[in-house]
Amino acid sequence: MKLKLVIILIACVLLFGSSVPIGSASGDDFNAVVRAIEQFYHVKHQNIPLLARAGMKAAKTAARIRGGEYKRLAEAGSARVAFFEEQNFDSHGQIGSFKASMKNALAETWSPLVQTLAPKNEEQNYIFVRELGKNFSVLVITIERHEATVVEATVAPQILAQLMKDPNEMGKALTEDATIDP
Amino acid sequence: MKTLFQHSLKAITVSVLLLAATSVTVRAQSARLQIDQLDSLANKASETVDVKLDEHLMQLTAKFFVSKDPDDAEIRDLIKGVKGIYVKSFTFEKEGEYSPAEIDSVMSQLRGGAWSKIIGVTSKKDGDNVEVYLNTAGDQINGLAVLSIEPKEFTVVNIVGPINLEKLVQLEGQFGVPYLNLPPPKPKVEKKNP
Repeated sequence: MKLKLVIILIACVLLFGSSVPIGSASGDDFNAVVRAIEQFYHVKHQNIPLLARAGMKAAKTAARIRGGEYKRLAEAGSARVAFFEEQNFDSHGQIGSFKASMKNALAETWSPLVQTLAPKNEEQNYIFVRELGKNFSVLVITIERHEATVVEATVAPQILAQLMKDPNEMGKALTEDATIDP
Repeated sequence: MKTLFQHSLKAITVSVLLLAATSVTVRAQSARLQIDQLDSLANKASETVDVKLDEHLMQLTAKFFVSKDPDDAEIRDLIKGVKGIYVKSFTFEKEGEYSPAEIDSVMSQLRGGAWSKIIGVTSKKDGDNVEVYLNTAGDQINGLAVLSIEPKEFTVVNIVGPINLEKLVQLEGQFGVPYLNLPPPKPKVEKKNP
């Protein structure tokens, strides 16, 4: 009996441990976008110690946003973050190709809400939205010359409605809270 | 026999309703400009902004401005019936980096048909040009388009649904609609009875 329990525990650790890098089950669109960035720019998202920090930030993000200006923006534990820090994001004038590869990485259920590109500075922002039961998933991808962030958060429809008033701020609110230490 | 007649009547009613609904959708769709071909300008632009709030998202959004808050009420009124807001804006480093031919795909859609230009402001000094078009069917407004053509910037805003100039001005800075420097709408003149 004990042996069975140990085997189950090991299986659980292996199953969930393998998804630690970006804090979720593999095969979803969040991971697909992270992979698309890695493949296109030949970069790697952060390793485990930094990712632990990312996980903490994600939790903080959810909590801070819930109690802050954008109340209940994210439900606890629903924000997921992947960081790319101190790396070189150079599209060699092919930002359009990256945009296409990211689009391919995402399922059709995602609606593009906002996209801003500044190729000269290698700056890109993308916000995608999709329905998730009664709530919505918001995927924010921010890429700059030396860093990038991918944030996925679950928001209540009422909050999405408020945020739609200023879609650019929606991306900033989520990304800044996920990446700037309080 | 009566049952057959009732069934036929039902089927006809449903068909007519479906046709009517399709016709409304087609009319609303005609106010949606095809602007994706402008994406080729992104290769030359120093900055590109692309906002898409489609019908589904707009309907969902409208549903949740339900509080008694006056701001919510104002927004609810503003976006009532709006079936989509689409914005594309391109900023260039130098003048002449885009040509009239490159924006003709949009301009040609606005020539004739249900579209009519209601405002055209040209600044000879700065070379700025703002044009506002309405898509109408009889008295009904199906949509609106704004083109802001500047030497180093090109912006197109397309709002599908019953929207007038007053509402457009109120929407500036919200829902991805940029500030368009539109002339203020003329105040309504009340007719005096003799």
